[in-house]
Amino acid sequence: MSTNAVSMCFNPLIQLKMRPQFPAKKTTSKSTSISARNQNSQTPTNQQQQQLNLSVLRFTLGIPGLDESYLPRWIGYGFGSLLILNHFVGSDSSTTTLPQLRIEALGLSLAAFSIVIPYLGKFLKGASPADQATIPEGTEQIFVMSQNISDSLKEDLAWATYILLRNTNTIAVLISIRGELCVRGYWNIPEEVSKTNLLAWFRRQIERIGLENIKDTLYFPQSSDTVLWEMLPKGTRSLLVEPVLQVRNSGANQMEKIEGFVLLGSGMSYAYSDKDRAWIGALANKFGGAV
Amino acid sequence: MEAGSLLHSHIPWNPPKPPRRRRIGSSFPPFFFISRASSSSSSNSERGYRGPKPKRDWVADWVSNNDDIVRSLPIYVGGVSLLAVLLNRTVSGIAPVADASSSQSRSDLLTLGLAVTNILTGLVWLSVRPKSISVVSPQGVECQRICSNLPDSVVSELLWVWESMSNVTCCRSLIVVYDSRCILQIGCAAKSSFGDGEAVAVDANKLMQGSLCQGVIKSGAQSYLANLSLYPGKSELPFLPSNTQAVILQPLGEKGIAIIGGDTIRGFTSSDQAWITLIGEKLDATLAKNLNSLPLAVQD
Repeated sequence: MSTNAVSMCFNPLIQLKMRPQFPAKKTTSKSTSISARNQNSQTPTNQQQQQLNLSVLRFTLGIPGLDESYLPRWIGYGFGSLLILNHFVGSDSSTTTLPQLRIEALGLSLAAFSIVIPYLGKFLKGASPADQATIPEGTEQIFVMSQNISDSLKEDLAWATYILLRNTNTIAVLISIRGELCVRGYWNIPEEVSKTNLLAWFRRQIERIGLENIKDTLYFPQSSDTVLWEMLPKGTRSLLVEPVLQVRNSGANQMEKIEGFVLLGSGMSYAYSDKDRAWIGALANKFGGAV
Repeated sequence: MEAGSLLHSHIPWNPPKPPRRRRIGSSFPPFFFISRASSSSSSNSERGYRGPKPKRDWVADWVSNNDDIVRSLPIYVGGVSLLAVLLNRTVSGIAPVADASSSQSRSDLLTLGLAVTNILTGLVWLSVRPKSISVVSPQGVECQRICSNLPDSVVSELLWVWESMSNVTCCRSLIVVYDSRCILQIGCAAKSSFGDGEAVAVDANKLMQGSLCQGVIKSGAQSYLANLSLYPGKSELPFLPSNTQAVILQPLGEKGIAIIGGDTIRGFTSSDQAWITLIGEKLDATLAKNLNSLPLAVQD
């Protein structure tokens, strides 16, 4: 490991728009020196940058299922409650001095900040989702598709729902193209709807909410009590609705005709990252031009 | 992926037959039908969607936009609190001795512990910051060559694959070879040395017999060359721009291969790789179905 990790590192964000030929940062560890030399031979660097090797600070207690990124939150709760305990039990309230009150106020605000830290850390670049998706209990898996569509569209719909369930953190998927539905996954269907009436029931729900008219992508990263969530199983925490548009150039204007939508429900909150949503949008485009 | 586990249980392939769709208001007398029609037409008008709209997530947006500041924020907070604790002790005239006998010292110690936790969290966040790698613009000519005599559905599927990959990932060149024929060469390609400004053509037979493709097809798994300059097999892909940074070789069944060139080192994430694998399977199914009966066609 590198031994010259003494100097502080200043890592300005590389301005990609202004200097596109800026090479990757030169690091001091030997293993990546080959690629660094290749880059340096092509374009000369203006700054020498050294990375501070802080990876020694990363640790794990080794307990499976324990997520160390939540450690500041537990420390915040623990130390905060100890502070309050100390205030009331440690000494009589008459002998509490002003400096002690100041320190306790500072300590409590630090504890509150530590509790919020894992929530902020979730949105940083490179953060991986911590909680696991759970399969909801008490709901059945279904797979229904409209019958009066062409075989190639049936295959496409079956493949698209399969790929969405497998590749993203999705437990329920519904694709609607020009009124024809394909529904797959875990859904919260009331008892009285029989298997043969499933598609009609879904169509009624969609018409009730007016989902066939959306033009923009809707993303609900956290669960809320709205009418959209009634169809979805109980453990659903995020919801994504992506419209399927067909762009047609007629004259000077670009007309966008709404062909349908793709609805995805997931058991995790903040389940769909930017990249996931980009891929789902690309998949929706496939049906935009389909026959 | 946890969500994949639900496919282990049996999902019936043949969905049950739904009943015929009943039109709303068809059984109502005419004047009810008119009022019904007006209400249903208003539900299909521009204000159609009646569901909830998502709120803007201010915290998430602010944190994503100010990544650097947020990463060093806990360090500053912890450092300032550390100094404040010491300052408090000196200002109020208490001797800076850490004994746990007085409640003042106990609160001091707890606050110091919290400050140190914040500093360490800030340092950990700095250490896990992903390195930002610059994009290298590929040097070559744009080309779009599709094998002629392909049915329209295959062509539209191939173009959809190219469009999604170039929009979502760092892909800049795409070549699809199937059955020893080059089906598609699209995106940026190396300029041919004849000086006519055309792109280098793909020699499908030579490519398929090269060790790179043979290895990939034999194993049946995707191969991701994250930094192409480190691989000697680069010489087998002369049609790609010379400064292509990353390449994914995706086998299409046993007869074909898709070569995807990107403009950033390690530019394809694991999610991209998973999507490309599944798209490759679909492409294989489509090409196998449609190319069985085609005679050998001339490349345009």
